[in-house]
Amino acid sequence: MKYRDIQQPNYRHVGKYTPRKEAKGIVTGKALFLDDFTVPHMLYGKIKRSPYPHAKIISIDSTAAEALEGVRAVITHKNMPQPWGLGLPVHRMLLDPKVYHVGDVVALIAADTVEIAEEAVDLIKVEYEQLEPVYSAEEALKEGAPELYKRFPGNQVDNGIKYFQPDGPWWQIIRGDVKKGFEEADYVAEDKISFSKMPAPLAPETPSCIAQHDGGDNYTIWASSQSAHIMKLMAEGRIPNSNVSVKTFNVGGSYGNKQSLMTTVLSAAMLALQTQRPVKIVLTKPEQLMSYEVRLGSTITAKVGMNKEGIVTAVEGDWLVDTGAIADSVQGQVGVGLGECQLVLAKCKNWHMDSHIAVTNRQAAGIVRGYGGQELNSCLERLLCAAMKEGNFNPLDVFKKNYISPGDTFTWRDGRTWKSRSSFFFTDAMQAAADKLGWSEKWKGWNVPFIVKGTKARGVGMGVIGNADISEDNTEAIVRIVPDLVGGKRASTCIIECDITESGMGTRSNACKIAAEVLNVPYEKVSITEPGTKYNPSNYGLCGSRGVITTGKAIANAALEAKKKAIEYAARYFKRSEDQLDTKDFMVFVRDTPELKIPMFKLGPKELSIVGYGKHMEMFDVPSCMALFVEVEVDLETGHIEICKISGGTDIGQIIDSKDLEMQLHGGIGSACVDTAIFEENILDRSTGRLLSSSLIDYKWRTFNEFPLYDGYIMESQIDSFMFKALGIGEISGAAGASAVLMAVSNAIGADVKEYPATPAVVLKAMGKI
Amino acid sequence: MITKNSIMLTINGRKYKFSVGDGIGDVSPSETLTHTLRERLQMTGSKESCGGGACGCCSVIVDGDAIASCMALTIEFDGKNITTIEGLEDPINGLDPIQKAFIEEYSFQCGYCTPGIIMVAKALFMSNEHPTPDQIKEALSGNYCRCISQYTVLRALNKLAGNENAELSTITRANDEVEDPIPVRQQLHHSPYANGHQCKHSLD
Repeated sequence: MKYRDIQQPNYRHVGKYTPRKEAKGIVTGKALFLDDFTVPHMLYGKIKRSPYPHAKIISIDSTAAEALEGVRAVITHKNMPQPWGLGLPVHRMLLDPKVYHVGDVVALIAADTVEIAEEAVDLIKVEYEQLEPVYSAEEALKEGAPELYKRFPGNQVDNGIKYFQPDGPWWQIIRGDVKKGFEEADYVAEDKISFSKMPAPLAPETPSCIAQHDGGDNYTIWASSQSAHIMKLMAEGRIPNSNVSVKTFNVGGSYGNKQSLMTTVLSAAMLALQTQRPVKIVLTKPEQLMSYEVRLGSTITAKVGMNKEGIVTAVEGDWLVDTGAIADSVQGQVGVGLGECQLVLAKCKNWHMDSHIAVTNRQAAGIVRGYGGQELNSCLERLLCAAMKEGNFNPLDVFKKNYISPGDTFTWRDGRTWKSRSSFFFTDAMQAAADKLGWSEKWKGWNVPFIVKGTKARGVGMGVIGNADISEDNTEAIVRIVPDLVGGKRASTCIIECDITESGMGTRSNACKIAAEVLNVPYEKVSITEPGTKYNPSNYGLCGSRGVITTGKAIANAALEAKKKAIEYAARYFKRSEDQLDTKDFMVFVRDTPELKIPMFKLGPKELSIVGYGKHMEMFDVPSCMALFVEVEVDLETGHIEICKISGGTDIGQIIDSKDLEMQLHGGIGSACVDTAIFEENILDRSTGRLLSSSLIDYKWRTFNEFPLYDGYIMESQIDSFMFKALGIGEISGAAGASAVLMAVSNAIGADVKEYPATPAVVLKAMGKI
Repeated sequence: MITKNSIMLTINGRKYKFSVGDGIGDVSPSETLTHTLRERLQMTGSKESCGGGACGCCSVIVDGDAIASCMALTIEFDGKNITTIEGLEDPINGLDPIQKAFIEEYSFQCGYCTPGIIMVAKALFMSNEHPTPDQIKEALSGNYCRCISQYTVLRALNKLAGNENAELSTITRANDEVEDPIPVRQQLHHSPYANGHQCKHSLD
């Protein structure tokens, strides 16, 4: 199939830039975020946190705090009103007589003002007995390591859980004959590689919520969560018999990271239950950095075999995953990580890839853009590079040859085997992005810079990753064509009922755009209900790049059903067959005689809407692909690295919004993606268990004046995902970036760099200078 | 020593008088300008994000300069003229050119840091109508944006400043490069998957 033969539809809205529904609100400061919102009679909550990574609470005295004027409740492990647990599976209480990481919850305070609550935090006297901590999966899984939880003997977390793997746990890729695979290999690389600095995605808006007890086992939670449904799901699993209504606002950045907010939400809910008043908890930036969820720690010890053609013939190894002190979503991430590496190495027939998850005394690792795939990819691609170097391959050829094509099979995180029916053009997109960077001139071989000027050397590198979560989880939507009550002919409106939060990806607006396209009405005439779990049809939420695709599918189907109903009514009215009719701007007209037209409101029952229902059912057979190419300049004297240019290529199927897509690609530079290769890390002080990087000054981030050139290449091959043939890309737009940068740095300096992040010290060490 | 028990701030052209003290309703000497704006005046456009002057989300303009309001004490602004994001839109002429450019170029994603970025940019353009690309970047170097809208923010501001060839990001659509394209026609592509495809494991 040739790309030019693919018929490119010419849509009214889809594919073009449409300003977001909340655009004016955002630029005028009127857009509402959680902390801009208050509930009458509300109290403020604060959390007293542990200064130690692992300790027993010997005594806790809150009398002085309770006596402080304005304090309404102090809750410790001794007086919890109900025993609420944390983790999936539950492995600890919200408040335990032990603490498991610096920043762990020791006591909850509700007070009239934030200041009073903060003062009360300092008045609680706690005596601890320090216990020996463990800081990595490797240490934690060793025999004789201090054990954190009874639920996890030897600190090993359950492999797989029913929610992610309905047919039973899945945590290993075992397929073919690894021994035979290595016999067929001409080049073998074996190594241990870590991506374990557990960097923070660090949304500008800190995790925050307001909880209200509605009586009985019912709660309302207003939260800065990108997925109200996921929060409801998790909270109802922690608060026995509860019914939780979650409402969300604009979310000030999340990057997958602000989903269930379980520790914060349960803290606020418990204070609300105790005080019988709504309680707001807004984490401070140091709290977010010190105690909120970060990326998984990831270490592989593995062996890769490759034949003379550059096809990977065998992968064998063990993936150690550090989930920090709370295991909450880790099994899903491990499943996706293992799934993603099969997309990159889809031609490999022989696998024995094991995984082990451990709890440690670091802050909890949670969901972050890249969802396990980035963490594994950053390790595995370094190993793949070693094999490619052995065979002196151009990595572009190897990635092209090994990437999944339609018809290839893989096991996804649900433990089931799927056959790809995705793009034929991923390799073309890889090539085009490579051309944008000037790959053919700049690739000079392994560990060879393409230019050295004085003390500055430049090198190029690349990485490829894919994800099949784009159509994950079920979703439903209702689309209503609402009549104009005073009879304006084209003045009807369309209302989408679907639970979609906006966290920056434009999902709500794209949903409106899709309904407008199906009904052929102006975008301005379509609106969507406020996000929230209670009064909307179910939508799993924003994750896995599924937002626009799955909600888009449910909404497109719902809009199509509504449109069909309007056409059915009109067919009777005009006495024509349905296929002779079409709709535009809330009118139905006869295609060959457009003068014959009638407003939709005259067709339906008086005052009532024309309603359609649509749904999306989970599937995992349309994987995406993102190829990233980078050019770096390294100062050979100081070891300083500058990323000069990035080019990215993908086949997106169909662009829904052109500018939206561009920013989805740019986004891969932020949220602890590309820069985890050179400066982004959480620096742990092993003597105290505390982070040395717990403020926005100490945690390194890329500033406005340091951005490299970005060159994107987008193909639109109309992939059969839903009515508008698009794929999602946000989850992985930067996920292969870190490994690409290390390849480029190795080439620039002429020596292998295997440590994340490649700080100047790491670079100089690799060069043998220190 | 003279002690004042009230202060007067001009915010977005309106005068606000506050009594200073530690009683209920008083502005305490330790109250930050962010708190006064957000909690007292319900001007929630400026955000308190890092609380340490590092992210720029709380930026407001005081007598022409952008400052981090989370690091400023309200009592120090007696007699000062403050502009917040809420005061940027002109009641007659509508949105400020920077606000318009931000919508045209889609210069935000989550929008949380946007008010701060706009205020810092506004202060820059107030002092210099045609800043260079480097001056724009430098002015915004204290603004944190984690969604990575920097490329589109710079695009909007460079356009306003009249800077050409300052583009940092290019997106090529393969369709534009197809030679001799087949004429398009409007069509909704229907597929077996478009209308509720179910996987074989589904109970539905």
